[in-house]
Amino acid sequence: MLLGLGCAALALAIAVPVFGQIDPLPPERAFRFTARALNPQTIEARFAIADGYYLYRDKIHFSVEPATAGLGVPPLPEGKVKEDQFFGRVETYRGGLMVNLSLKNAAVGQKVVIVAESQGCADLGICYPPQVQRVTIALPAASAAPSAGGAQRKSWLD
Amino acid sequence: MARWILLVVAAILAAGAGVYFWSSGQSTRDASTLLALSLPDASGHQEALSQWKGKVLVVNFWATWCAPCREEMPEFVKAQGELGARGLQFVGIAVDEPDKAERFAQEIGVNYPVLIGGYGAIELSRTLGNRVVALPFTIIVDRRGRVAQTHLGPLKPSELRAIVSQLL
Repeated sequence: MLLGLGCAALALAIAVPVFGQIDPLPPERAFRFTARALNPQTIEARFAIADGYYLYRDKIHFSVEPATAGLGVPPLPEGKVKEDQFFGRVETYRGGLMVNLSLKNAAVGQKVVIVAESQGCADLGICYPPQVQRVTIALPAASAAPSAGGAQRKSWLD
Repeated sequence: MARWILLVVAAILAAGAGVYFWSSGQSTRDASTLLALSLPDASGHQEALSQWKGKVLVVNFWATWCAPCREEMPEFVKAQGELGARGLQFVGIAVDEPDKAERFAQEIGVNYPVLIGGYGAIELSRTLGNRVVALPFTIIVDRRGRVAQTHLGPLKPSELRAIVSQLL
């Protein structure tokens, strides 16, 4: 039995360096932020969180530029509770997060920038410093189809 | 035989923790950029890293907001206590606020200097080989002032011991 275990272990030891070639994702890919306007007053904001990565709930902050557009941020959904030795009770998100933000003072057709700050870690045993991702959105007329924007994508401007 | 199996299994476990292979980089780069650094400690007193030249220097970039960083630090405290007299010197660079770094350092009884780098320090670590720009990131410098190892992710105690004992 021990010998079998040893052989299996040896086989794994040889195989593992192959997996080892995979680098951790850059944070903007581990925590991909997108946002789109559902109507002139509502922005759907999403984080797509890669497998094996997680975000801290209390480190997620949204803002809008210009600030005069008046961003309303609802309470974020409950995350998975984790007991942290230093910070106490913390909540984390895996997989993804979606939240509808409201714009109180934006004009139809106005361009706004949704700014999302986040901080997360990977199960590999690393943490990323807080990241800021921005999506520029041209607000639609009330009846228009949702206009999408990917984080840091500027192609539609070019 | 049983001992050999145990060693192999331990190696697998280390790999399973997912921190060994992708994160270790060997190099013989000159550590002069790092050794030229001078950073304040939590009370604002400037410390030049060059003062530890000639020792085996383990520079660990960490933060309180990084749980894996906090988890590996007690091992550094242990190693510093055991091997400090033989010329091993740990230095922590906190990508953090002074009061938080200080509070955690006291909590676990850190017995080596903790300097405050703030978020600027993580950019600095990028220039020193931290390509993904994440924490913990550790640079081991030999007695001649050359980078012996850079490592992203927690250092397994066995790995740390292996590297350090070669350099001491």
